[in-house]
Amino acid sequence: MSVVANASVWRLPPRWVLLVALLSIACAEIGGAAMARFKVELARWARDRMLARPAVHGLVGVRDVDERILDEALVKFDAGLRLFHMHAEGMGLVIIATTMVATTMAQSVAVRRTITALLTTGGAGYPVGYLLWSALIPSYGPDGAKTIAEWLVWVPFGSATIAALWWLVGLVALRMLRPEK
Amino acid sequence: MALATTILATVITITSSAAAHHVGSYVPRDNAVTTNFKQIKFSVQAKRFDVALQLFESGAVRAEMRAQAAVLPAGLEEATRAALREGDGLEVERRLMIFFAALARDLAVEADRQLGEPGVTPETRAATGRKFLEAIWRYYNLVDFAVAMRDSKSSVAVRLAFDEAEGYVKPAAGSAAPDDPAKARQPIQRIAQVLSTLIETSSTSARRSS
Repeated sequence: MSVVANASVWRLPPRWVLLVALLSIACAEIGGAAMARFKVELARWARDRMLARPAVHGLVGVRDVDERILDEALVKFDAGLRLFHMHAEGMGLVIIATTMVATTMAQSVAVRRTITALLTTGGAGYPVGYLLWSALIPSYGPDGAKTIAEWLVWVPFGSATIAALWWLVGLVALRMLRPEK
Repeated sequence: MALATTILATVITITSSAAAHHVGSYVPRDNAVTTNFKQIKFSVQAKRFDVALQLFESGAVRAEMRAQAAVLPAGLEEATRAALREGDGLEVERRLMIFFAALARDLAVEADRQLGEPGVTPETRAATGRKFLEAIWRYYNLVDFAVAMRDSKSSVAVRLAFDEAEGYVKPAAGSAAPDDPAKARQPIQRIAQVLSTLIETSSTSARRSS
């Protein structure tokens, strides 16, 4: 079944998509506020967990060496939280904008639904990877945590977003070449 | 056509996406001791010895001198303070050079001990070696110019030994562990020896000239 979309009228994406996008932005705001409010507690928690796992972090028991390692891990732990805050905010808006384009431009219901689902799940899931990366750094180290976050979240959700966006680009290009009658 | 473009772009993007996530970068920061050293050094260079003395009295360099008093030449803290009070910039530089050379030497001694521990995998040994060399360089680099001005042979010897040690612990091609990172022990021992001699001769010449 296909629906002829009037491209001169912007159509709203389904409500669940708007809910997910707004939830993403709301989580970003909560994350940002919590990061500022509990900065010291979070850093202390991360440091304690890292000190409890010297082998994971390659600590050698010499302060001049270990402080540098702990500092790097703590900077990355903080960076993960900041990147979650920024990406969740940004991707919330990206979801709204891109699904609106998909809803307006895609004529086939199946295509529209697939692109919308990919953009929404991908966009909402991708920022969670930064939260996961940050949370896993004290237990697995920056590189170990990055590998886990990459394969569990960033690659699947990021790929979903990238695939859907290029699909959307193709659709829009097609509509330009073959305008709606 | 749109589908083909989409598939092509997706494949290209996804295959290179695994390492493409933006996770920020880390720039090593000065610790309290190196920060305080730089503050003192710049104050001395500006001939503001009153400021330098204040920074010394309240800073991490003096605190570390006290903490490490057992392994430092006797009277280093008092001599540094006296040089600051007298406004003797060269003597302040010499005392601080001795202090940082001692810190670097102690790290080299500990690195040698840890690299010699049995039952450690080459990967762990190499990683440990790299971390120690980084810490040694962080301290030695601060005073290398002062060392070179007084004893160029020691400066060159430390640099050569450092380069050699780095070569032994550097990851091989394809991020594989180096063959035998324990080989780094020899140049690291040389660093410790050269710095010990430097500390001894500099402390002696400092005592003679004072």
